[in-house]
Amino acid sequence: MSSIESPLDLIRLSISERVYVKLRSNRELRGVLHAYDQHLNMVLGQVEETVTSKEVDEETDEEIVKKSKREVDMLFVRGDVVILVSPPLKST
Amino acid sequence: MSELTKEEPPAAPAAPPPTSVTPSTYLKSILGRPILVRLHTGVTYRGILACLDGYMNIAMEQTEEYGVGGELESRYGDVFLRGNNVAFISGDTKAK
Amino acid sequence: MLFFSFFKTLIGKTVAVELKNDVILTGTLHSCDQYLNLKLSSVTVVNGDKYPQLGCLKNAFVRGSVVRYVQIPSGEVNTELLEDATRKENAPKKREVAK
Repeated sequence: MSSIESPLDLIRLSISERVYVKLRSNRELRGVLHAYDQHLNMVLGQVEETVTSKEVDEETDEEIVKKSKREVDMLFVRGDVVILVSPPLKST
Repeated sequence: MSELTKEEPPAAPAAPPPTSVTPSTYLKSILGRPILVRLHTGVTYRGILACLDGYMNIAMEQTEEYGVGGELESRYGDVFLRGNNVAFISGDTKAK
Repeated sequence: MLFFSFFKTLIGKTVAVELKNDVILTGTLHSCDQYLNLKLSSVTVVNGDKYPQLGCLKNAFVRGSVVRYVQIPSGEVNTELLEDATRKENAPKKREVAK
């Protein structure tokens, strides 16, 4: 981490690596980082998107966490929906 | 008002003038230290502050993510947090 | 400017624009500007049964700020070029004085 002077350098070091991206409205992406800019606009390749939603079971009154996944070849992501970016190898 | 100041001249600091703490000096002082970051959503991150910039974009190491209820949700190695989501940054006094 | 240039290379190609309100439009990218506002032609609404009011949409101007994703035909993208351009655009500024 010694070479990092700005938080964005962390992302620069992840170019062409798989990254984990947490977005607003309970969305997560895993994909190869091909491009980004200072707004965190990004282009990701071989993307898997996970959308997490919570529903309440009417009979048991229990909260059910639903995860729906889809795959996209290549995706431009608008930076303003980004919350977090992490190189995923070390993440769970 | 003027009488008051005449009667009580400003006390000259005996010690060297206290260095004023500004948000920026505070943030510099916790670089490399355990911190706690709360987002507007209520999600909390604990980890080591690697660096940050003027937008409050944050790079952290050994990061733990806690949900709104305080439960540990996940762990990350390095993390970049986009500054617009940040509510506050604080030194983490409870860090191991 | 990186993504403005990037989208200019996609003009004439078919893209799927997913908006922040979950509407997904596919169409031919007609043009774009520096704010990443997009103009689409030959629009179809992917999840159209949910939005019958959008059925008559043929051409659309999409304000950049309401976009969440744009799905891109991966065959049209040279990823190596894109990564090099990204490294160049985000190159660390040189410090005038070394410590």
